[in-house]
Amino acid sequence: MKRFVFAFIAAFIFIFLWGWFYNGVLLKDVFAEAQSLFRPREEMMSLFHWIVIGQAGLALSFVMIYASGFAGGGIASGVRLGIMLEILAVSARCAFYATQPFPAKLLVLISIGGFIEMIVTGVIVGAIYKPATARAS
Amino acid sequence: MDWKKFFIAFVAAFGFIFVFGFLWYGKLMHGVHQEVPLLWRPEAEFGNHFSWLVFGHIVMAFFLTLLCSKFVPAGGPGPCARLGILVALVYVGNDFIMYAVQPITMKILCGWIVGDLIMFGVAGAIIGTIYKSSSSVTS
Repeated sequence: MKRFVFAFIAAFIFIFLWGWFYNGVLLKDVFAEAQSLFRPREEMMSLFHWIVIGQAGLALSFVMIYASGFAGGGIASGVRLGIMLEILAVSARCAFYATQPFPAKLLVLISIGGFIEMIVTGVIVGAIYKPATARAS
Repeated sequence: MDWKKFFIAFVAAFGFIFVFGFLWYGKLMHGVHQEVPLLWRPEAEFGNHFSWLVFGHIVMAFFLTLLCSKFVPAGGPGPCARLGILVALVYVGNDFIMYAVQPITMKILCGWIVGDLIMFGVAGAIIGTIYKSSSSVTS
């Protein structure tokens, strides 16, 4: 349980910092090109806690999935899970692209960032969380 | 891996996800979505991008089936539904983030969350019912 909590906290911190750096700093200008699809900055900041809750939920569900079946394989399994979950996220983005006028470039860049995010999260979770049986052997 | 069962489970999951998505997000939530009309493509433009929707659903069904078959090799509707719900929680996390950055309403957010949980939970149960390893079938 202790390792589960550590893995969750570490994953959440990484997802938070990466999200801020990649989406908030690196892709700032690309997001600005589709400004009509997003809330004004002040409004977004007033709803910032929803981003934190969402990222915490993302980190928690990642660790829960990992702990419930992938945990035996260590870092490699964490990376594999991260890639699979990001492919699922990309599939949802395809559906968003069909229904919302997002520029394709924006969704491609978000997906590249998503792969990096999920792979590194997999490394972090795989390195920290070890099931009880693996630790005993 | 039993590829025949995998394929049948994938096709069934795709069928369910596609039909559920159409009914839930396209029909039931249509009015709620129209509260923010600027966010959506016009009907004709949506038609031109429809293939992306189908492609997205195919990838979604394929990787959910792959996840279930790798993860829950014994299959069974219960464990696979549980995995589907855990996967839905990843989507729910993204829904919260979308709510903070896009001008969607609280009703849309709630509709997406409930839809994700039902869709992935049921899709997981369908996959688990169809995809069972030989050992679990014979035992």
